Amino acid sequence: MESVHLTARGDGQAVTIERVADGSWQAVEDDQVVGRGDLSGRPDGRMFVSVDAWHCAVFDRLAGAMLAELPRPLYTLVDEDDLDLISHWERAGFTARRREWECLVPTDPALTGLGPALPPPGVTIGPAEDGPLRVLDRVIRDEVEAAVGWREMPAEVLPRPAAPDLSRYTVAAEAGEYVGLVRLAAVTRQPRIGLVAVRSGRRRRGIGRALLARVLDDLHRRGIEAASAEVNESNTAAMALFEAIGARRTGSNLELVLKGSERHG
Amino acid sequence: MARTAGGIEVEGTVTECLRNATFRVELENGHKVLAHISGKIRKNYIKILPFDRVLVELSPYDLNRGRILYRYRN
Repeated sequence: MESVHLTARGDGQAVTIERVADGSWQAVEDDQVVGRGDLSGRPDGRMFVSVDAWHCAVFDRLAGAMLAELPRPLYTLVDEDDLDLISHWERAGFTARRREWECLVPTDPALTGLGPALPPPGVTIGPAEDGPLRVLDRVIRDEVEAAVGWREMPAEVLPRPAAPDLSRYTVAAEAGEYVGLVRLAAVTRQPRIGLVAVRSGRRRRGIGRALLARVLDDLHRRGIEAASAEVNESNTAAMALFEAIGARRTGSNLELVLKGSERHG
Repeated sequence: MARTAGGIEVEGTVTECLRNATFRVELENGHKVLAHISGKIRKNYIKILPFDRVLVELSPYDLNRGRILYRYRN
């Protein structure tokens, strides 16, 4: 255990900040842990920090000790309703980078209005096979990288799957190749739509809508009333698609960033 | 109920999702607390819903408040 010998006197007691493992810090007061800090990386290479503390002074000291050791940029994620936490991070120098809407998507065709939303002529919707799914995965990743980049994609950036769980995917195929997919995260009590993607040259033909119709209808038949999804605020096309099928916004997450060479005192 | 270096940790069930990113959790002993979610749970987009079984760390300063550390698979 490495102690960095920082102390705070938030409530009249000394707090010591310790780095207890790689990417893990804690604040100790009277031999009791009163705060924790964590650093973790994402598949897109970005580093995310989090701090849990019972008091502002402890949060500030813990964040300060962590930020003094870590390279920039650093990111964190906060619930936009959590005003206290947002102000803590703002004091540490973080600023809002982007917002993700949390949405609840109904599955009942009577609510989504999708009904038998048929794909365009020549396109079929069905389960995925490994080989063509990997090809589509590579194509979509390249297209995203060449456009907005994965850092602008919501929520879930998965590493290239060594062996993708095919049961999570529904795909659209045309002329012998996959042109779109929906990935449903394996959440039992409320499914989560992890990714909806259509190849750039095949958009605006109703393929995404047809994919969602199939996935949501399957969930409805299994007795599941709703699925969740996150959508980047700037992705107006995705937001329009979800709102058109009756999705409602239930909350929002703010991604905060600490850029450059700021150092927290 | 186990006393750990990190505080008192106890299992409970989420009974209500409140505003300001807080949850009401009924602990095993029937006591109800207001709990936030931990930063790790937030970073990993783990959703907390009513009826979820969770592990809560109670605040050493106020036993009516806590932090959700873990969501059990139901």
